[in-house]
Amino acid sequence: MTDDTTESTIVDGAQLLEERAGDAALESPNYDGEFDAVIVGAGLAGSAAALTLAKRGLEPLLIERGTYPGAKNVFGGVLYTPTIRELTDLDGAPLERYIGEKRFSMLSHHDETAVSLKPGDWHREPHNDSFTVFRGDFDEWFAEQAVEAGATLITETTVTGLIREKGAIAGVETDRPDGEIRAPYVILAEGGNSLVSEGAGLKETESRENIAVAAKEVLEFPENDEAIEDRFRLVGDAGVSYHYFGEGAVGEAFGGGFIYTNDDTVSVGVAYSLEDAATKRQSPEETLNLFKSHPAVAPLLKDARTVEYSAKTIPEGGAETMPDLVHDGALLVGDTAGLVLNNGVHLEGTNMAVESGYHAAAAIADTIEGDGHLSQYADALEQSFVVQNLERYAWLQERVEEDRELLFERLPTAIADASTEYFEMDRKPKETHAKAAKARVLETVGGLKGATKLALRYRKLVR
Amino acid sequence: MSVSPRIPDTDIQNDSMEDRLYTVKYDDPGDSHLDVKVPSICADSCETADCVSICPADVWRRDDGEVPTIAYENCLECSSCRFACTYDNVVWEYPTTGSGVSYKHG
Repeated sequence: MTDDTTESTIVDGAQLLEERAGDAALESPNYDGEFDAVIVGAGLAGSAAALTLAKRGLEPLLIERGTYPGAKNVFGGVLYTPTIRELTDLDGAPLERYIGEKRFSMLSHHDETAVSLKPGDWHREPHNDSFTVFRGDFDEWFAEQAVEAGATLITETTVTGLIREKGAIAGVETDRPDGEIRAPYVILAEGGNSLVSEGAGLKETESRENIAVAAKEVLEFPENDEAIEDRFRLVGDAGVSYHYFGEGAVGEAFGGGFIYTNDDTVSVGVAYSLEDAATKRQSPEETLNLFKSHPAVAPLLKDARTVEYSAKTIPEGGAETMPDLVHDGALLVGDTAGLVLNNGVHLEGTNMAVESGYHAAAAIADTIEGDGHLSQYADALEQSFVVQNLERYAWLQERVEEDRELLFERLPTAIADASTEYFEMDRKPKETHAKAAKARVLETVGGLKGATKLALRYRKLVR
Repeated sequence: MSVSPRIPDTDIQNDSMEDRLYTVKYDDPGDSHLDVKVPSICADSCETADCVSICPADVWRRDDGEVPTIAYENCLECSSCRFACTYDNVVWEYPTTGSGVSYKHG
């Protein structure tokens, strides 16, 4: 797949410097004004934009601060690929496992109540376009697809600011000598820690109520080659995504835990409100340790060894805190635009990043061809699943946070108690246990009246 | 054979922070990409030291009434300190020319 053209077009920053040093004529920056668009960040949004522009016959420059695309990137672990599949051929992509089972689990201190979904369809191609991946592998591969289509990638180069000319964004400043690179359009795909966009006044710093902090470990099982297949009941390339809520997952914080299976490792992590981490003095390290030690989780991870530890913040403000996406000469995409959906059962972000990168690039390409305007990016995104999904669940996050203690602490305990009661083996008739079990749950939600209220409060979930 | 089934031993061995950080590839830029903007805010005004409680990598440490010390070489570049500080008193810059963390399994 990687051929000579790839090798010659991937130029890292150091290489670039050497070439310049060897050629006096190149001392003035040869990249300045040479490109149709500069893209800040070779994550999934940035590479989707670069690939789209290159396929339209334009010349984008993709600038990555890491040593390779993906080096600075962390996510939970499941990538949804419908848009990527439209943009390029997924054959040869570094995928770990497809998701054959989704499991949602409520953890109280000592109990687990879980629902497992295994539709047969997920075992058939294209596997519901849901795969575990490592960003270090996948993002590098995806950037290579952009390069093969004609994009130019430079790594180890940090964008430090934006150039403004007559009020419009006209390029980027970098940490390289002669580091100014002017271009008619800039796409900001720098992630949720958006230093460049904020520095240029294109967005405000997100408040910590809308940020989640996440810590993740990738674990291997050095003494047991079959551990993953056996413990997660896997055959072939099938994998699982396990989601955990409740006190046993993230203590008193609002958030959840996860386990995803990779080819021969598992990704285990917690993600929860940064506000809670601060005010409840709940450190990511301790929270991860507690989750891993839960009696329903620990047996899955027994005798594991850490391959890599990582951490990240997630912008979870949703539709309400989305910054302006379109500026004079610049567009915001992916995490920079706050495009993350977390409604408990749907945890998405990378797919939305790809979709936004695609629409941003399409708007630029149309504008260059004289057939559009940058603002059509915002319209296209609003009509796409990205903003539609964010708006559909805009009400949910706030409501669930208000009900956190009931939903994630008292109710899970009540359900576990009710199960214990309902299935209790003694010499009493079942009717006695059934009544007691029902009473245990009703007492927690405030009787039948409370149960009805709760159902009404969340009725939009099933609309 | 045992008389009754035993409860399985579910003790999990969690790595120390030092061991965890050891798994992350890191290239030291030589200078800290983190700092505090106004030291006196940390020393005189801040009572909660949120930077300390939320950091997933023990970068921030503080004795009461002091300016925090910053072990920037531990930093996983998650940026939670920048968002968490209610005084907006964290200087956070991207490490330059490819330095800092390089994740393989992010």
